[in-house]
Amino acid sequence: MTTVTGSMLAQVVVSGLLAGGLYAMVALGLALIFGVMRVINIAHGTLLMLGAYTTYWWFAYLGGNPYLSLPAAMGLLFLGGALLQWFLVHRVVDAPELSSLLLTFGISISLVNMAQLAWTSDLRSVEFLTGSYLLGPVAFSKSRLVGFAFALAITVLAFLFLGRTKLGKAIRATAQSREVAMVCGINVGRIHLLTFGVASALAAAGGSLVSVIVAIQPEMGQVWTFKSFLVIVLGGAGNYPGALLGGLLLGLVEQLASLLLTTQVSEAIAYLLLVIVLLVRPTGLLGGRT
Amino acid sequence: MSSTTGLRITRLSALALAVGLLLPLGGSALAQQPIKIGASLSLTGTYAKLGNNQHRGYQLCAKHVNEKGGALGRKIEFVLYDDRSDPQTGVRLYEKLITQDKVDLVMGPYSSAITEAVANVNERYKMPMVAPMAATTSIFKKGRKFIFMVQSPAEVYLEGLIDVAAKRGLKTVAFVYEDTLFPKATVVAPGGSVDLAKKKGIEVVFVEAYPKGNTDFSAILTKIRAANPDVLGAATYFDDAVAITRQMKELNVNPKMYGVTVGGDLPKFYELLGKNAEFVYGATQWEEVLPYPGSKEFTAAHHKEFPGADFSYHTAGGYAGCQILVEAVKRAGSLDGEKIRSEILKMDFDTVYGGFKVEEDGFQVSHKMVMFQWQGGKKVIVWPENLAEGKIRFPTPPWDKRE
Repeated sequence: MTTVTGSMLAQVVVSGLLAGGLYAMVALGLALIFGVMRVINIAHGTLLMLGAYTTYWWFAYLGGNPYLSLPAAMGLLFLGGALLQWFLVHRVVDAPELSSLLLTFGISISLVNMAQLAWTSDLRSVEFLTGSYLLGPVAFSKSRLVGFAFALAITVLAFLFLGRTKLGKAIRATAQSREVAMVCGINVGRIHLLTFGVASALAAAGGSLVSVIVAIQPEMGQVWTFKSFLVIVLGGAGNYPGALLGGLLLGLVEQLASLLLTTQVSEAIAYLLLVIVLLVRPTGLLGGRT
Repeated sequence: MSSTTGLRITRLSALALAVGLLLPLGGSALAQQPIKIGASLSLTGTYAKLGNNQHRGYQLCAKHVNEKGGALGRKIEFVLYDDRSDPQTGVRLYEKLITQDKVDLVMGPYSSAITEAVANVNERYKMPMVAPMAATTSIFKKGRKFIFMVQSPAEVYLEGLIDVAAKRGLKTVAFVYEDTLFPKATVVAPGGSVDLAKKKGIEVVFVEAYPKGNTDFSAILTKIRAANPDVLGAATYFDDAVAITRQMKELNVNPKMYGVTVGGDLPKFYELLGKNAEFVYGATQWEEVLPYPGSKEFTAAHHKEFPGADFSYHTAGGYAGCQILVEAVKRAGSLDGEKIRSEILKMDFDTVYGGFKVEEDGFQVSHKMVMFQWQGGKKVIVWPENLAEGKIRFPTPPWDKRE
């Protein structure tokens, strides 16, 4: 086997962190939905996929800089998410978690199949940023770096929103205790709409950025849903900084395992980590709601 | 109701008369029932691109066969389901096709992995399966009697790459492959790429598998970059071939020769990668330019029937597979599995795809593979020499030295 040098390690750490930033942002959305509404959103990756296609079609018809479509993708899925919540998801907010699992699973299947009908399973990609910046022996993939930068910015904004704005605090209050929030005059129904919308926008942003990195197709969301769940369990369900840490950790673990062992095994390692965390620290690395 | 005078037509005899008149019509309607050919195809999932091409091959073949009068005086009709690129789904679907839909014949699915899984099904029901899209030798060496190979085997997919590399005096090679049946067979099976390289005196410095569906190849390419091989051979499907090529550019991995197997030959490969696809070698079981009988007509008919659709050897393979089955049915003069099987074993038949002749176990011995290189947006056949249309562009220049 090849000996691992410092520069190889540096390379995969960079790759891992760049991937991790995206995982973190997308998982944050999932964490919000679970934290605030106790809904298990299996359709999360599908929302990401729709965001990816928004950017793809924007770029296909309008050309120019695909990153300009980011607000459009986020806005569109914010509305889409809010609509899903308004018509469908609100029915399972009080129900046992299995109901939300089934409902969001159904939503996911429907949306994926509609996408396949509309756009076929052909791979699409946004050829805009190829190549990388070389810093010594370490290559920073341009598309992944820009994706990371945007993901970071959006995540920071999300945290500012949650921490500093009135609406954000209302969301956190609802997550802590719905009854007390209601007593404080918070319109919980509207908060749920907002939460699902924001979470969908975060997923969409992930998709939009990913469309410039890898080729997309309607079933791409599945693996993102899995990874988002992994991240949440790692960081602690409902714990927002936990999602950030979990995302970066997952990215790093995947890449390091690929380097030190094999890529084949790295998938298994990520799930092994999940099992270990669940056994040793079930509330996640940073604690959170169980 | 009976009439009082003249003919006394009782209800019963009226009924008998009616049935008597209709029966021949019903009988001939039955005879007009099309021959149903069942198959599952990867219309969605990771193999979707290639499965859809194969699908068009089947469709075009059915159209042409029916235009020429069908088989055994009947039209043929495909009954197709989407196996979503999943072997287990394929198994379920073939069971359904045979037991519930009661198809008369079956054709193979896409990919060695799915063919291997479903081969047990048609074997059990003694229904011969021409498997046009399965190139893994092991499938045909398990004592099965009802499965027949159309492709050249997986083990020789990278033979062109290795042969040229040896002729050019290159010393080291690295292989990566998707960890599923066919790519694995291509690289590590006995007689596969690793063995071929060793036989030609090229040192194998790195071999690693990656999981199906993997999109981030940074780590594996980092290791390859460190190993610095002269040649990189990737046994891929389509999505991964695209992703690896892209990330090679990002990570600045510069072998002197880089070849993929499946996927590199699709027009879509060049569409997605643009100039970054230049210099990439690909293996192909078939190209339009090869002088096989009916090949040009087939190509023209395809572009007319499916304008703008992706077109590759998977299309031709699907078409040829169906050609072979229909020919065997005609020669057998029946839909009986054993009779069709014995006809197939006797065949030495040229399809649009090239030669078809199988051994007793169904293993293909007549068909030949070729290697091409993307040059100026076109696939130029560069190996074997007797079929080559152009010279190779060698060595592949490093990414930063290309315009």
